Amino acid sequence: MALVALAAALLLLAWILVVRLRGRRRAERIARQEETWRRAMHEAMERPVEERLPPIADGDLPEFLMLWNRLQETQRGPAAENMSQLLRDNGLDKRAMALLRSGSVRSRLIAMSTLGFVGAEEAWPELEAIAGSSSAMLSFAAARALLRIEPRRALDALTLSIVQRNDWSVARLGCMFTELGPALVTPSLTTMLVSRPRAGLDRVVKLARFGERSRVAPIMRGWLSSSDNPDIIMAALEYVDDERELPWAKGAATHAEWRVRMAAAKALGRIGAASELNTLLDLLRDPVWWVRYHAAQALTRLHGMTPDELRLIREKARDSFAADMLAHALAEMPIRKIKFI
Amino acid sequence: MSYVVSAIEWFFLAYFVLFNAGYISLNLMALPTLRRKIALRPVEDLPAVYSGLEPPVSLLVPVRNAQAGIEASVRSLLQLDYPQYEVVVIDDGSDDGTLATLQRAFELEAFPEAMWRRLPSKEVRAVFQSSTHPNLRVVDKLRGGKADALNVGINASRYPLFCAVEAASILQRDSLRRVIEPFLDDPAAIASGATVRITNGCTVANGRLERVALPRNALALLQIVEYLRAFLFGRLGWANVNAVLIISGAFGVFRKDVVVEAGGYRAASASEDMELLVRLHRLLRARGQRYSIHFVPDPICWMEAPETLAGLSTQRIQWQQGLAESLHRNRELFVMASGGAQRWLALPFFLIFECYGPLFEVAGYVLMTAMWAAGLIPGAALAAFLALAFTLGFLLSMTALLLEELSFRMYPRLSQLAALVGTAIIENLGYRQLVAVLRLIGLVRWMRGKAI
Repeated sequence: MALVALAAALLLLAWILVVRLRGRRRAERIARQEETWRRAMHEAMERPVEERLPPIADGDLPEFLMLWNRLQETQRGPAAENMSQLLRDNGLDKRAMALLRSGSVRSRLIAMSTLGFVGAEEAWPELEAIAGSSSAMLSFAAARALLRIEPRRALDALTLSIVQRNDWSVARLGCMFTELGPALVTPSLTTMLVSRPRAGLDRVVKLARFGERSRVAPIMRGWLSSSDNPDIIMAALEYVDDERELPWAKGAATHAEWRVRMAAAKALGRIGAASELNTLLDLLRDPVWWVRYHAAQALTRLHGMTPDELRLIREKARDSFAADMLAHALAEMPIRKIKFI
Repeated sequence: MSYVVSAIEWFFLAYFVLFNAGYISLNLMALPTLRRKIALRPVEDLPAVYSGLEPPVSLLVPVRNAQAGIEASVRSLLQLDYPQYEVVVIDDGSDDGTLATLQRAFELEAFPEAMWRRLPSKEVRAVFQSSTHPNLRVVDKLRGGKADALNVGINASRYPLFCAVEAASILQRDSLRRVIEPFLDDPAAIASGATVRITNGCTVANGRLERVALPRNALALLQIVEYLRAFLFGRLGWANVNAVLIISGAFGVFRKDVVVEAGGYRAASASEDMELLVRLHRLLRARGQRYSIHFVPDPICWMEAPETLAGLSTQRIQWQQGLAESLHRNRELFVMASGGAQRWLALPFFLIFECYGPLFEVAGYVLMTAMWAAGLIPGAALAAFLALAFTLGFLLSMTALLLEELSFRMYPRLSQLAALVGTAIIENLGYRQLVAVLRLIGLVRWMRGKAI
């Protein structure tokens, strides 16, 4: 058995050496070509480049495309278009398509990113099929490519997945929505919000911030009168910032769920109505720290409220928790650059 | 008599085979995650884009008498690439100039913090806010140990996730982003830990790792192979069945509400990080709550390994005491109907091979040698036993080196590879036995209830 173990260990050693030597040779080959690739790409960013790139071997294509993607990620406008043209002129968009169909997972991810940047409409059917697949990694990359190729059509096609696929991270979707901009994503977002899906509503609510506030806010505020779900009320209160909506914020300040009371305190702070001083003083005595914290923060934002007045309120406070929190809020006023939850 | 001798001989042979086979299986279990990691690298290597929906994080840095390096450590933490985080340094009753150094370097001012004391702790003397860095606060407290300091940090923290960081850790600029990623993709994530790599021999400047290299110190070099084998790919293997039982205290992220509900860190623990994690497994399993604990294999956290025998001894004895304590304190997990992979795989493995393993290992070497010396077994039998122990150990280390080669390849030069392979051979000729003895001392100390 010892001999078998030794033989297996030596076999692994041989494997390591083969991997190492092949990797080295490949890295050296790529390094030699990278200079030429990089130069061509930088030139392409400046102006359209007509000359052809030196031939790229199939094995080196993913590395070339990876470099292209890295540079393309930061480009906008004509520079980005020239970079895409460089690929098309050299037939590399077609080779990326081939890579999408037959490559490894890594190569397919690189191919999808490339096809998205280059706006390859011919890849749409394949990408759409992958976007519906069960692999979170591949489906998300495909969705990203679709959104880059034709955003409106992609948003329509992907609405259900965006709402329901828990394996698509909301934060990553947020990055895509930021890239697309509020004007593009608002119609889809409002459709999702209006339909108020049972599954995935929390995801849609989080994404709502990437839409145009003027169109999203009325829908969200409408929920205040039509829902008793604490999560929905809390989300809707995020859009309350006008004195006309004061009754909603005031009503929520006595809600049984502490997260709703916290959202109410934040809303009262945004509205800043001095008439709500007593509501906030009540919240300042709340048993939950976060409610007290946001009530104190809201107090500092009330119209006409001065630090001296706050100090006076603090001195008069009978509740030590409330007094401590006011002292905290007062000290935090000069450093309010930090946004806490 | 010959039956007894034969039984002993076969028992230890079987133990060594099972022990190494278990670890080799863990390395193989790590393969799918590594393959996914390699596939995802093109996407991860693109410039980071943030949406603002990333969960904000509180970095908790417990320190005690760390005057020499604290300024560089905190400066390095303040430069991490992550959209929203705060740094909370907890000075655990230092009696050198740690606090004064921080006050001077970051222009700290006393702050009337209305702290939410959800976890009991030693008295907090003062809280300071940096006037140069709005996201830096320093808590000055009475000495209570690392666990107590972390509990104070949790009380002072503002964000829903906290990351326990050792001041001596060297982090990459994207470390926080990478360790948080599991929380973006998995709503059930409650903790995420990172692998710890060894900085000995590397070039570090201003709290940043500039060049990766192998150390000249033999003890540190031996630990590099050991870390790869046992702490990187082993834990990654457990992560595939949601059975990670250890997240290094050097760099690990937790969901705060879950930890607070579990009672925070246990102040009198030898290994507060492991004890907390095993307790979380137990409590959440008992409640039937769906949860996951992730392990990030990327080289994002680096630490100095002990270069002296005394340093290594202290570290390993303490680790073993902590391990034994964590497993026994949460022994209900062994009998839970809903114990899952922890009950059926991880806990028995940890109990037999990690906790009581040193006992069998040391006893194996001692008894086999004694039986040969007493003429009870032939020299060939002893030689076969030792050859098996050594070759299986070598095989195990080679699987780890292969996985490293296929994934991260942190040591790209051929001379470095040769040094690692040489170390993988040499470590079987004394180092592994030494570590087994140190762990046995730790186990005995724990059994005798000796202070940690």
